[in-house]
Amino acid sequence: MTNSRDRVLGAVRDALLRAELPHSSADRPFYAVPPEATGAEDPIEQFAQALVALAGEVHHAHSLATISDTIIGIARASGASSYLSWNEDAIECAGLVDTLTSRGLHRMAYDLPFDQHGRDERIRVLAQVGIGVTGADAALADSGAIVLASGPGRGRLASLLPPVHIAVVKRDRIFPSLPALLVARPDLVGAGSNLVAIAGPSRTADIEMTLTHGVHGPKHVHVILIP
Amino acid sequence: MSESTSRGAAAKAHAEADVAGAAFHTRIDTALGDGKLRQALSMTTGRLATGRATAFAALPYAEALRVAAQRIRAHTIAHLDRYLVEFTTNAERAGCRIHWAETAADAARMVVEIARASGVSLAVKSKSMLSEEIELNSALESAGIRVVETDLGEFVVQLAGDRPSHIIAPIVHRRREDVAALFREKLGATDEEVATIPAMTAFARKTLRDQFVGAGMGVSGVNLAVADTGSLCLVTNEGNGRLTTTLPRVHVALLGLERLVPTSADLSVVLQLLARSATGQAMPVYTNVLTGPRRRGSAADAGGGEPDGPDQLHIVIVDNGRTRLLGSELAEILYCVRCGACLNVCPVYRQIGGHAYGGVYPGPVGSVVMPGLEGLGAWSELPQASSLCGACRDVCPVRIDLPRLLLKLRAQAVRQSLGPAWLRLGMRIFAAVATRPAVYRHVGNLVGRIGAAVAPDGWLTRLPGPLAAWTQSRDFPAPAAKSFTQSWRPKRGAERTRR
Repeated sequence: MTNSRDRVLGAVRDALLRAELPHSSADRPFYAVPPEATGAEDPIEQFAQALVALAGEVHHAHSLATISDTIIGIARASGASSYLSWNEDAIECAGLVDTLTSRGLHRMAYDLPFDQHGRDERIRVLAQVGIGVTGADAALADSGAIVLASGPGRGRLASLLPPVHIAVVKRDRIFPSLPALLVARPDLVGAGSNLVAIAGPSRTADIEMTLTHGVHGPKHVHVILIP
Repeated sequence: MSESTSRGAAAKAHAEADVAGAAFHTRIDTALGDGKLRQALSMTTGRLATGRATAFAALPYAEALRVAAQRIRAHTIAHLDRYLVEFTTNAERAGCRIHWAETAADAARMVVEIARASGVSLAVKSKSMLSEEIELNSALESAGIRVVETDLGEFVVQLAGDRPSHIIAPIVHRRREDVAALFREKLGATDEEVATIPAMTAFARKTLRDQFVGAGMGVSGVNLAVADTGSLCLVTNEGNGRLTTTLPRVHVALLGLERLVPTSADLSVVLQLLARSATGQAMPVYTNVLTGPRRRGSAADAGGGEPDGPDQLHIVIVDNGRTRLLGSELAEILYCVRCGACLNVCPVYRQIGGHAYGGVYPGPVGSVVMPGLEGLGAWSELPQASSLCGACRDVCPVRIDLPRLLLKLRAQAVRQSLGPAWLRLGMRIFAAVATRPAVYRHVGNLVGRIGAAVAPDGWLTRLPGPLAAWTQSRDFPAPAAKSFTQSWRPKRGAERTRR
């Protein structure tokens, strides 16, 4: 007896005997990122310009004090008293949580429970939090996107649920483009259950092509570039 | 097949083609008569096409990327069985559950069964053309499961009981007043909440957040799946795709069986082109790559798992006519990554919009995909709805030769005699005339004289008899007063004299 898997795969194999497929090759085509396309003159500047063009905001910070100053400033402006975040070691910013706590901004612990009821309850609470703080594994100069891999202590909701997302990004993690990144760091895909590239705040233009921010994801995206 | 059944099938195909043809022309008339629709279409397609052109002009090596993307897709489709096995093996290893659906009904039934098994009463959906194709919403609803579209455009489409009219911009056919009225009437929005487009967007966010928080299942499509990691890639601008695949306990992804690439490097090449082609963005706001469900920590490192994400990830791999397409001379259309760029540049789509095409997929791509998936019978008119200008081929990120495929379909229609009878007769008469030089000359002179008499301005707005169908939605250039042979003869004579 054959199952649906065998029937579908059988139909594919049958069809391939008759398929007319221009430009196909037996060997996997290899795309080499042209060397000229891999190095912008100033990738940091290019990244910052691209993100600002998308209505994102770029900040520069050099120490724990200036990083937390920036975060506190954004929190005050948006009236937030708590935040959702990755673990401190995942943000790679030792002492950040304590510093923010001492200045009145509290971290919300958020691992979702595995039972449906507890999960719904927790999500309802988390949906009220005003700010999300994360690190980033990479940033892309050509598009202004930041790239985040999920993992233990590196939740997806911190960059998704609150109306404001702040990412702390090391300057040396800026890559020219997505192909350049995935050639250099193929391990990122599949490192966790989710790899996401975020290019600025959430947006839509569904109604009369009018650009509007913050439809489902964050309305504001701040990137703090650090050494 | 016996002769009588094959005759019966042919008669059925003819009847289908006639009915569909008449319906198609009625839809075209409706669209062409709707001034507001045409204004909206012209604005939206114009902006999207300009956005694409600007983005490509700024992209170094755009042509090299297009060639690479075409080769990646061509190679993948040529070895689709191998990549499907590799993809599903790796996806299962990452903890996904794979379901194989031969038909639309199978696929819809599988999603309903997954929902029932988890006791789901509310499902949220991110935009998926494949879910339209398998009519998932009605299947879920008749099983007593409420389903909410979360893409803003699709949400409006669902509230209105409508269908999307563009692959990327589903409500290109609706104005802000329509949306405002709908929000007021169906959701009780206040005047303030629908005063402006940002206000309506904020209202939709608030309304949909409640649905997200309470949903037990999220249903999404898949832009591309990666064979060597078993990952799914989904792109959205609004973030509803991320919420759909992160908040609910169960995530079901619908994957057309052709949407694979071998590796994540290949994925990145296609992604360099996808959003630029669709909307002119360098990247979509969210490029979401999913590899299995949420990872639990092992007993050894208590609490070492991921803090969020779905507990279950089901992938429903859908055939529904794709193997039929694959085994045909139209297989090249399976390279398509559904960016919608061909719609925005098509002189026909730009005038008539998506609904006139009558299928799930409109525009040049739809004119190949619909007859390819379901047979020419009900769709024999679609390949005619093209000027064969080649604009679609020029913007296709994977360089599909759409005019070639449209011509193949036209040839098929002729072989199956699906065109109108008068056209076949007309072509036979033309062949009889054109293969007899003396007759051709005389007929040419005669037609030229008639043309000059009835259309002094050079355009015929109404042709007689069955040819009137042609001038229903366009003018016909009048034949030249002097035929080619008439102009050529004296010149040739002069040349001979010179020699």
